Amino acid sequence: MLIWRLVLGILGVLVLVYGLVNLGLHIPGSTLVWVAVWLVAAVIIHHGVVSPAVIGVSVLLRRLVPDRGRRYLQAALIAAVPILVIGIPMIYRQGSQPPSMALLLQNFTANVGFLLGLIAVGCLVGYAVRVARDRSLGRG
Amino acid sequence: MTTTPTSSDQPNRTAVPFPRARPRWWPSFDSTVRSTALTARLGRALAIAISLSFLTGLLSYYQYVPWSWLPLPASPAWGYRLTQGVHVATGIATIPLLLIKLWSIYPNTFRWPPFRSVRRVVELLSLVILVGSMLLQLVTGFLRVLNWLPFPWDFVSVHYYLAYVVVGSVLLHIGVKLPDIRYGLQTKLAAGDVLTEVPWNENPDSHSNAGDLPAPVTPGISRRGVLTASAIGIAAVVVTSIGQALNPLERIGLLAPRQPSLGPQGVPVSRTAEEARVSAATIADWTLQVDGPRPYTLTLAEVEEQAAAEARIPVGAVEGWGINASWRGLRLLGVVERAGGSADSRVRVTSLGVGGIRRSQIFGPQLTRALLATHLNGERLSLDHGYPLRLVAPNRAEVHSIKWITQIEVL
Repeated sequence: MLIWRLVLGILGVLVLVYGLVNLGLHIPGSTLVWVAVWLVAAVIIHHGVVSPAVIGVSVLLRRLVPDRGRRYLQAALIAAVPILVIGIPMIYRQGSQPPSMALLLQNFTANVGFLLGLIAVGCLVGYAVRVARDRSLGRG
Repeated sequence: MTTTPTSSDQPNRTAVPFPRARPRWWPSFDSTVRSTALTARLGRALAIAISLSFLTGLLSYYQYVPWSWLPLPASPAWGYRLTQGVHVATGIATIPLLLIKLWSIYPNTFRWPPFRSVRRVVELLSLVILVGSMLLQLVTGFLRVLNWLPFPWDFVSVHYYLAYVVVGSVLLHIGVKLPDIRYGLQTKLAAGDVLTEVPWNENPDSHSNAGDLPAPVTPGISRRGVLTASAIGIAAVVVTSIGQALNPLERIGLLAPRQPSLGPQGVPVSRTAEEARVSAATIADWTLQVDGPRPYTLTLAEVEEQAAAEARIPVGAVEGWGINASWRGLRLLGVVERAGGSADSRVRVTSLGVGGIRRSQIFGPQLTRALLATHLNGERLSLDHGYPLRLVAPNRAEVHSIKWITQIEVL
């Protein structure tokens, strides 16, 4: 395994340095500063805002929602994340482009809502089945 | 049964398990859902997605700077449409996948002490580059698909070179984490060590240090549940957005940025005439200048008279959308040969538009099959589609299918 780790590490450093050197060679210094600012800001926003918010939600769920129902609620929230992450920028930008581009012409608010609704229904059905099964087995 | 790592595949997992003292206020994580086993599986999916994005991205960049000895092929005609469709779809899917992966290892951020050694500081710096470059690459790529460019740099150059930073960081990260990855993938999902802010080699309760233990109880969602829910959400995004490239799915494209069939003449416009500052007045006295050993000029009437060649050539765009289209026009090779060139020539095509890519070179197989199009899907080209003349060639990025052509040079 040590050999593989060394090979991957050395290859990784070489590719990384190739990218950094070429960024330095082909992108003006003042622009690179902005790239660095965006890069660091992305880490700060993710680790300092998004992640703590997610942890906060999970702590609240743990305190407020019983285990059985929480499983399905957590599943719904996790499945909703990709839809919201992609859908929200599209909602914000919908209608902003010339019609000839055929770009962002849809009502993404309704579309995202529909997809979230599907997930909610799926999880509610799963939860209802679970409750019914537990009752039939005398566990609920 | 729990799969307990051996000292041979986990060389560091024999460390004495004593948690280091830390302040009471220091964040702690007790969720049993997070595990090296879960992270390793998410990481494997992420590595596959990044590899796919990188390779298709290289193919896309090659459209900008093809080498003389390796010209762009003209077949399959749908090649670029496919690879760029995959590139964008994979990139979109990777955004939530990355966020879920980062959630799974978030406790690692709070190891105590935070800067315990030079090695840890170097590792943290490399992680900042890894996480930051991936987030930046994916987010700006997605914004580019939405034609939203709030960042003050040339997208193509930064996106291209930053891709190497991402891939290099990922390779380095895999090299550093290989023992954990191996343990994570070899361990049953439900049974793997719980991932907290305490490193496994300092956690006396980890399987690695305590031997065979029952799988930790997950009162809420299980680890498999996290993977399943993530897969459902990401699949939903892919299926409802891929319609911009895979036309039969356009009808269910609830999250598809573009609806190609709604474009004028059945094809979307990436750059409008207004953006390129081209208007009816601009092209009022239009002629086509053909430069080469035997230069000549074609008037609009001559171009339209000679536009008899027809071809079905798919359009594939850097934004990931694509659609098939019927074109009519002049064979570029015929125009080039009349100017003294040949199929071996390198040809530069210039637009009268302002900004964007105004010039593009074409040579090799694409030159022999290229059209100078006057008609699209049975109608005269609209101004937004490049009237009076645009370049189209099989397996060629739409951004290099120069519109509003005013000059052709045999180099």
